[in-house]
Amino acid sequence: MSDPADIHAYLAELEDIPGTRVYTATRARQGYHLNQFAMSLMKPENRAAWKADEASYLDQWAMSTEQKQAVLARDYNRLLDLGGNIYFLAKVFSTDGLSFLQAVSTMSGMSVEDYQAMMNAGGRSPVGLRSIREPR
Amino acid sequence: MARITAGVGSSHVPLLGVAVDQGKTQDAYFAPIFGGYEWTRRWEAEQKPDVILLVYNDHASAFDANIIPTFAIGTGERFKPADEGWGPRPVPDVIGHPDLAWHIAQSLILGEFDMTIINEMDVDHGLTVPLSMMFGTPAQWPARVIPLAINVVTYPVPSGNRCWLLGEAIGRAVASFPEDLNVQIWGTGGMSHQLQGSRAGLINAEWDNRFMDSLIGDSDAARRIPHIEYLRETGSEGIEMVMWLIMRGALGARTRLLHRHYHVPCSNTAIGHLVLQPD
Repeated sequence: MSDPADIHAYLAELEDIPGTRVYTATRARQGYHLNQFAMSLMKPENRAAWKADEASYLDQWAMSTEQKQAVLARDYNRLLDLGGNIYFLAKVFSTDGLSFLQAVSTMSGMSVEDYQAMMNAGGRSPVGLRSIREPR
Repeated sequence: MARITAGVGSSHVPLLGVAVDQGKTQDAYFAPIFGGYEWTRRWEAEQKPDVILLVYNDHASAFDANIIPTFAIGTGERFKPADEGWGPRPVPDVIGHPDLAWHIAQSLILGEFDMTIINEMDVDHGLTVPLSMMFGTPAQWPARVIPLAINVVTYPVPSGNRCWLLGEAIGRAVASFPEDLNVQIWGTGGMSHQLQGSRAGLINAEWDNRFMDSLIGDSDAARRIPHIEYLRETGSEGIEMVMWLIMRGALGARTRLLHRHYHVPCSNTAIGHLVLQPD
């Protein structure tokens, strides 16, 4: 176990995983209003207001322009870069009627069919995807 | 005296709840998953536990980004299924056990685990899917349930060792409750899965099975697995497996395996299931 006192080494390791944004405090701070916006879609009346006019609904939240644009574009990888967390973003794609598998496949750069086929064949192997520094 | 008689580990994938709620558990896709829980459903019907201590994580349902408790215990009388964006699951309300929950909360705090106490909250698929897997579709859940919600979303999440120690403290707390109760502890979540980015869909069956192996018998090696290993080997959401260590810690020095099941895939996720007894 890494020394629990060495917060810098701990946090640096979390950034060493290919294609992965670990939801650290830095991301949680950056994405706070984005995630709270997404959370608001748990209420039926908010979902209705959001569907009626997405841009106006977003303007009620203290989000960056980049975050708003990425939400409107449903660019989930970009939203992860901007501090979004998948369980919060799930409220957005659920409101769109997408399943986790459908939404997640859009982040992998694969078609839903190819992604589903990969999962049915046992999923994506971790080989070569464990570390950015030393591919293994 | 109350006693912990068994531990159950199980994934809690939301799609399993959909399969139950839409009557699809015997479809070709789902049958191999649910088939692995049939033994447990019969066993639970015989065991008739009075209370389930159900370790799970909230998925942005009861807790938003505002308040992030590391360890929370539900002390309320009743918990409703959460509306996770598509309406609440059509499952019974979860009936709590406030006397035992408050006893555990007080014992844990005196034992230096500073719990967050929750009187009112809705419970999401993390809690209701395992109930469906183990109990099917009854009109009322056959046991009372004490929710133990763990932060495994915002880093740092609790260490494996801290989870194991919490389990041990829960075991002591239950053993000091005067009423004669048959208590089970369930650790849920996992197994390998990643729900984000270009590495989405990662599955590591070999690692998952080694992890399950390590919870059987007298090894305590799993408590020392660092977060980075879960992340590298089992995907960003595989970290949920630290919650199984709370279950394992509560079972004491040694466990005996009663039942085991593993299947890939369910949605984006590997399904794992263990039934253990203190030995």
